[in-house]
Amino acid sequence: MKFTRFFSRFVSTFFKRELEKVIKIENVTKMYGPTVAVQDISFQVEKGEILGFLGPNGAGKTTTMRIITGYFPPTDGNVYVLGYSILSDPLEVKRRIGYVPENPSMYNDMKVLEYLKFIGAIKDVPKSQLQDSIEKTVALCALKSVTHKRIGELSRGFQQRVALGQALINDPPVLVLDEPTSGLDPKQIHEIRMLIKSMAGERTIILSTHILPEVSMTCSKVVIINEGQITAAGSTEEIGRNLERSHQIEIMAEGPAEKIIDHIRKVKGVDNVINQGINYIVDVDKDSDVRAEIAKSIVTGDFDLLELHTRSLSLEDVFLRLVTEEEGGEAR
Amino acid sequence: MVIFTAIFGFLFFRNLTYYSELSYQLMQNPYYAQRVDLILGVFAPLFNSNSIILLMVIPPISMRLFAEEKKSRTIELLFTYPVKDIQIVMGKWLAAITIIFLMLLLTAPGPFMAFTFAESSEWGPILAGYLGIFLMGVAFLSLGLLISALAENQIVAIIVSYGALLGFWFLGWVVEPDSGKQIGKVLGELSIIGHLTNFVKGVINTTDLMYYLLFIFTSVFLTLRVLESKRWRG
Repeated sequence: MKFTRFFSRFVSTFFKRELEKVIKIENVTKMYGPTVAVQDISFQVEKGEILGFLGPNGAGKTTTMRIITGYFPPTDGNVYVLGYSILSDPLEVKRRIGYVPENPSMYNDMKVLEYLKFIGAIKDVPKSQLQDSIEKTVALCALKSVTHKRIGELSRGFQQRVALGQALINDPPVLVLDEPTSGLDPKQIHEIRMLIKSMAGERTIILSTHILPEVSMTCSKVVIINEGQITAAGSTEEIGRNLERSHQIEIMAEGPAEKIIDHIRKVKGVDNVINQGINYIVDVDKDSDVRAEIAKSIVTGDFDLLELHTRSLSLEDVFLRLVTEEEGGEAR
Repeated sequence: MVIFTAIFGFLFFRNLTYYSELSYQLMQNPYYAQRVDLILGVFAPLFNSNSIILLMVIPPISMRLFAEEKKSRTIELLFTYPVKDIQIVMGKWLAAITIIFLMLLLTAPGPFMAFTFAESSEWGPILAGYLGIFLMGVAFLSLGLLISALAENQIVAIIVSYGALLGFWFLGWVVEPDSGKQIGKVLGELSIIGHLTNFVKGVINTTDLMYYLLFIFTSVFLTLRVLESKRWRG
């Protein structure tokens, strides 16, 4: 009995787990009583990736992260971290994850060093290595100047770093960060982002946010979640590209608006023209480049073309589109 | 802790002086002199009054065990660390027990002093008394732990703890235990204070021992179940 168990562990360690994704979320559903917080979501994260988990407030980001970290079990479905199931092997999963909750609350009356020591002990860092890993964490999170201060006295930025420190103390292969930059000033945000970026590669990171530039700046992959369901997933560029139904071209031109619109409409590949004063926003098919045609058409009409440029949809536009479309769908 | 020791010390001093006066008077009469007894005269009432002080001192200790973690949301991180629920509960429970133990330990010089002046020094009954009051303290604490796991904040936890403990305390008084009615007997047996009387007299009775141990076990067990159910509900 013992041997077979050992053997199966051995086999799975050396063969199966190698092939598996670092984090695998399978059909996870979470209900709070009758309320559905997250419904049947699945996605995977590969080694070394930074996955941005994007969604408006209340979309189910925190719920999903709490399930991954083992704070509470899913109502249905399962999560695997490095091959360990959160349901049958919660301790093994927890050992491999460092978690920074949103607005992390720590034991405020403990001093930073004391706290890191305590967390290190809880996380089974061997006594002989504890001092070493504390020093490493302090250096990595730039905590040297505050090691003897109480956590409650620290500024929000330092508290965030201490929270990151407690997550990193046992050098986990997976990091789960729930809105790591919320409540920080721009400089602190920049520092934390740099820190997160510097950790990619060796560690696999999931970070949630509702701030879009953050995703394009730090993440290699995006999962967009809204009302408990995944609305889009893919690499940052992919998402931007696939979800653009059309490119937009912005034109500034002087002349009678109706005539200009007629001229633009004549060009093949133009879907729609919106007029705002001397500005025109033109929706075009995404596969054709019609800028030259439009310019020609306007100039031949003897209007003054002042400016013409493409406007590619930012992630923000995509996000807003997805979320509003979803809401429209609900209303119907 | 300091307050507890101070109160214990004060009560001890008062009882001792009162009793030394009393025994001095009793000594005048050869018949009563037979019945002078340091244990029944000083320590039994002392332990009894200290049970009331424990009732007041322990809920403030137990209230924060889980309620504070929930209120300040530090429990979110705690539950994501690689520790089992039972380790968390036992850790908190043992930490609080240590406080009770130290509190009682600080009162130990009392009996020492008494025995240096007394002719006889019978340690057995004193230790039985301490064991009884310690068990009762741990029973209070375990119930407090359960309530702390149920309550959302410390104030609720402490008020409910006082209510529940007083409830268990008064249980024995609802119906006169000696009235012959079955219900009186049952309630009397359930009363948390009733089981202390034998201990302070120096008698360790299995019934009393089992009562406290079961009380403690049930409370700790229910605490675990409460945490588990809270987790599943999210």
